[in-house]
Amino acid sequence: MERKQPDLVLIVARSFATKLATPTLIIDARGDLVFFNDAATEVLGRSYTEIGALQAGRWQELFEPRTLDEEPMTAEQTPGGVALLERRPVNGSFAMRGLDGREREITVTAFPLFSHPDEVVGSMSIFWELPPAP
Amino acid sequence: MIVRVWGARGSLSAPGPATVGYGGNTSCVELELADGTTLILDAGSGIRELGQRLVERDPGVVHICLTHLHLDHVEGLGFFTPLWRAGWRVRFWGPPSTTATLRERVSRYLSPPLFPIGLSEAPAEAVFEDVPRKPWRIGSAVVEAQTVEHRGPTLGYRIEEEGRVLAYLPDHEPYLTAASDDDPRWISGWALAAGADLLLHDSQYTADEYAGRMGWGHSSVTQAATFASAAGVRRLAMFHHDPMRSDRALEELYDEVAQLLRSDQEPPLIAREGLEIDLGADTPS
Repeated sequence: MERKQPDLVLIVARSFATKLATPTLIIDARGDLVFFNDAATEVLGRSYTEIGALQAGRWQELFEPRTLDEEPMTAEQTPGGVALLERRPVNGSFAMRGLDGREREITVTAFPLFSHPDEVVGSMSIFWELPPAP
Repeated sequence: MIVRVWGARGSLSAPGPATVGYGGNTSCVELELADGTTLILDAGSGIRELGQRLVERDPGVVHICLTHLHLDHVEGLGFFTPLWRAGWRVRFWGPPSTTATLRERVSRYLSPPLFPIGLSEAPAEAVFEDVPRKPWRIGSAVVEAQTVEHRGPTLGYRIEEEGRVLAYLPDHEPYLTAASDDDPRWISGWALAAGADLLLHDSQYTADEYAGRMGWGHSSVTQAATFASAAGVRRLAMFHHDPMRSDRALEELYDEVAQLLRSDQEPPLIAREGLEIDLGADTPS
């Protein structure tokens, strides 16, 4: 096994996420999905244990993020991607398809994870499924 | 690389007849590198005696790598003789902070009211640097520092020379943020310790004590052994002994640790003052 591991900030973020009852997802500095917690399983349609880490392009392909107007979004355009690339907290809503095939609209609050003032090692997204429109 | 332990106690100096076997001085380990460079890990009270030994030779440069700035890791500096002798150059490496320089933080201890003399009065040249984010060279060794799980900004170190590796994680609670059966890459400190020939690791608590002290930043002996196995280190040395632990009590923990290690690992050691290991020859004395 290669002697490389995530920064401690990501390790602590993952540990924090495992204890949260709110759906939470973590991406690393490359935009790869490196963890989501049990609470996120219901929204994403399958558990992290089942699907494991996903490269940025792969999770974009699987979840098909779209604006609420049904315009396709890249991984970089999702709140987690914006938080990572623009190094700022962000809140937004978008549509996606869970791995169980069900369409959902979610609201996400994402923020960058700084290990040093000039180094972002990933972002953390906390999200809620929006209730269906009446 | 010759490893000499000058202090293996954690949290508070603990001199006295009950601890005379393993010693009561707080964390300090000297590395004598192949090119003659002196690299010191932490400046607990054990550094006092080391300093006296160092000034027997001509003034020169010594490197001190601080894991963090808790008192038991810096309290010896006021009596580290090279720092108080002109002609010496003491080069400090330590964890970065977003609020103050390493010099400012160390000076909080080496200044009134905690200490009568200020660091600015030290005759030696004292140089302070945050550790680089990538491995760097000190003398003939390559040193790597990473932030590890403990209270406050804390580093672990990996020192590699001539194919031999020492890992030093004296204050470390890896299983606060990971489960024992997690992918090792998600265990704090794993990359520093992976495959090391010798790991000096926090072994402060018994399993029962840990249950009441979770989150205090330290490991139980059981966790130290679990971590050593996960990292595949060749030999674990129990380190940062609780100040309340007598020599006899330490030895009673030894079997527990030995049983948890893998069959391909060497028997563990209880770090003690005076312990010397030549990682080239690999024989403790």
